[in-house]
Amino acid sequence: MKRSLEMRDVVKRFPGVVANDHANLTVEAGEIHALLGENGAGKSTLMQILYGFHRMDSGEILIDGSPVTLTSSKEAIALGIGMVHQEFMLVPPFTVLENAILGLREPGHPLLDLGKASQRFKALSDRHQLALDPNAEVQSLPIGVQQRVEIVKALYRDASLLILDEPTAVLTSQEKDQLFSVLRGLQAEGRSSILVTHKLNEIMEIADRVTVMRDGKVIATRAIRATSKQELTRLTVGRDVNLRTNKPPLERGKPLLQISDVRVCDDSGNEKVRGITLEVHAGEILGIAGVDGNGQSHLAEAIMRLRAIKSGRLVLAGVDLTSASLTRYRSAGLAYIPADRRNVGSVTKMSVADNAILGSQRKYARGIFRDIRRERASAAALVKRFDVRGSDIDLPAGKLSGGNLQKLILGREIMRGSNVLVVEQPTRGLDIGAIEAVWHELLRERQEGKAILLISADLEELLNLADRIAVVFEGRIMGIVNATEASVEEIGSMMAGIPVERDWVAPRLSIEEKANGEAF
Amino acid sequence: MAKLFERRVTPADSLLDVAATTTLAFLLALLITSFLFISDGNNPLQAYFALFHEPFATLRGFGNALVRASPLALIGLGTIVSWRSGLAYLGFEGCFVIGAAAASWLALLTSPGQALGPLPFFVFLPLVILFSFAAGGAWAGAVGVIRARLGGNEVLISLMSNYVGIFFLQYLVSGPLRAPGSLPETVQLPQRTWLPFILPGTRAHAGVLLALLAAAIVWVLLKKMPLGYELIVTGFNPSAARYAGIDVVGKLTLAAFFAGGLGALAGMVEVLGSQHRLMDGISGGVGFVGIIVALLARLNPIAVIPTALLYGGMSVGADAMQRRANIPSSITFILQSLAVLLVLTTDVLRYYRFRPSALWGDKPLTAGEGTNR
Repeated sequence: MKRSLEMRDVVKRFPGVVANDHANLTVEAGEIHALLGENGAGKSTLMQILYGFHRMDSGEILIDGSPVTLTSSKEAIALGIGMVHQEFMLVPPFTVLENAILGLREPGHPLLDLGKASQRFKALSDRHQLALDPNAEVQSLPIGVQQRVEIVKALYRDASLLILDEPTAVLTSQEKDQLFSVLRGLQAEGRSSILVTHKLNEIMEIADRVTVMRDGKVIATRAIRATSKQELTRLTVGRDVNLRTNKPPLERGKPLLQISDVRVCDDSGNEKVRGITLEVHAGEILGIAGVDGNGQSHLAEAIMRLRAIKSGRLVLAGVDLTSASLTRYRSAGLAYIPADRRNVGSVTKMSVADNAILGSQRKYARGIFRDIRRERASAAALVKRFDVRGSDIDLPAGKLSGGNLQKLILGREIMRGSNVLVVEQPTRGLDIGAIEAVWHELLRERQEGKAILLISADLEELLNLADRIAVVFEGRIMGIVNATEASVEEIGSMMAGIPVERDWVAPRLSIEEKANGEAF
Repeated sequence: MAKLFERRVTPADSLLDVAATTTLAFLLALLITSFLFISDGNNPLQAYFALFHEPFATLRGFGNALVRASPLALIGLGTIVSWRSGLAYLGFEGCFVIGAAAASWLALLTSPGQALGPLPFFVFLPLVILFSFAAGGAWAGAVGVIRARLGGNEVLISLMSNYVGIFFLQYLVSGPLRAPGSLPETVQLPQRTWLPFILPGTRAHAGVLLALLAAAIVWVLLKKMPLGYELIVTGFNPSAARYAGIDVVGKLTLAAFFAGGLGALAGMVEVLGSQHRLMDGISGGVGFVGIIVALLARLNPIAVIPTALLYGGMSVGADAMQRRANIPSSITFILQSLAVLLVLTTDVLRYYRFRPSALWGDKPLTAGEGTNR
């Protein structure tokens, strides 16, 4: 049952890069071990080697002190290793139980015995307090529950070492607490977990030890008791980083973006935004907190005219644009940084230079012809000013790392010179260095007097950047709080749909409404 | 351990690399096709001599190659415009006959005693170009509208529309436009409406110049105009296009219109330059060979010109080969199709680095930089 793991001198090369350079990792039985590092530090490769996805070039893996060879996930599973991927590997139309037993076969039994499987499933689910209904369809479940399905899937295969890749990226803080208590339960049974993450708070909260990777190398392994967030940050980045922002006080100007009672439907006609009223002022960052899928994206798309507004009004700098034509709307001055960098925000097969003019292609043209020299000059300026590294402007944008691609998109939208910025999940999946750069640019835009609507699932980001935070749940605003007065717990419970009773929330809302009433 | 082929992170995509793999694919196609000659008891070298000698080593044959190449090039250009905009349009047979019919009808109207009377050629030419282009554009544009607005499948619709076009042509030449006589064809078009011949001693006509001009225009459109940029963005990624404020529906419709127009010009060139009358079966598959030409040219509007000339020449050579060596000309079509298949598959070679040194056991250039896949 109890398994300890040791990975020794693991080397893995991909063409042109050394993904793992003599990496060492030991995980004791019954330990929660965090694996920390920036994107591209080699964490995922190391875990994929452990799960049998990649073969290492040299090095060895020992389980309970004896060397093993891993050439496929099947062998890893047989050795008691389970993995919960960042993107869940579930079949959405199948039930929870069907997903749990996917690919398993009882020797000698050609037919599926769902009844027997169901008993075992229930026992597991109860013992670990996962509260899963085996007959629920996976596609109808919230993300946090789907993740528990992944965990039970691994437990069903009797995993004694669980690898979790960025498990909290999509969870509310309540769901995160639940996940952590499940992990502690597993720990009490002597099972170990490896938590791949770059969230320091969570590491400090749950892990016993942490291993830090940088550039494919293991930099250090520390006991949590003997380290600090500052030290871990320094080890991860290789220098001191101040993610606490020094935000100058708010100089709130005129309202630039006003939306009132906006309703928006998704493609199948379900109402996703159910009457949202907001105001974003010049020089202000209004944050929108919420778990993915509660209507934030639909709201952003509606503001950008990528999706029809069913009812409600939209006023930009005092001009009602609810029914303006697309061209008129675009020229009114809005910039948008979409959540999906690779599929919406950029054309990955086109060059960096071509991507730098996306959306402004007509502005750079001279008559009916492109002014390619001007385009290139502006692309070069953008790359320089926003420090987009790692690529020539003639190479495809898809070759850029996530952080650099985001800097390219951010720079392009900022250089558009719009007064209103709609920013969605700007730092999702980015490493600390890139987050710092993106935050810095957004705050600079705030100083310039732009109105910024910041949609983010990352509370730390919202608390650091936003002046006010509106929490959405199922297409409605649960409450708007001042970032300086808000607590993570409060926002977290509103994200989960639990209204927070506080005296000042109500009057603040009524002031908003009054202001809107005057403006419209 | 050094391996003979080492995987690259990015494909080698310099002009030389692309040309090298394409040439390799073509030689491979020639090699495979030679087995067909051998199995028939022919000497492949003689067969290939017959295939390539006439179109590329005799003046008259070269003129014929040019005549065959111009509609292929125009259809290839139409393919490029639509495919690069993300519209997999396959209806060029239909566009070709629509363009041919439109041009013939207008030309017949200028016969003495008809509505337009004897129209001077310099008035007739721009008129017929616009008219054919618009007719083909509307024909294909309808498919674009169905795809872009209603979400229909353009592959099926455009493929099926070919039959509608071909049967419409049959109706025209056996009904309203039929010349007295037994064959389903029109009377010969007035000589005033023929495209002028441009190479003395050959049948090469001004359609060649039109194809060259069209290639230049398509190149400028895609490379130098914001409109072309928007078409390409639409083709790569419709969501990003919408995000950038590009009207995706409008762009797809426009791409279909251009493509259909170019396909129709191919039909116009064929009737006014070469056949001089409209007849049943006039398209004979050029609508598909043109797509092959575009694929072989990797959807590059400049590369379409030599590729079209190669394929046009091969079809001229095929006839000569059948006449002289009694080898079925359909083998040429096998060769042409094989070449495309192999070009598409040899593309994978550009993802590998060739290390002949591994053959004689030398160490790779940088120690330890061997491959792992």
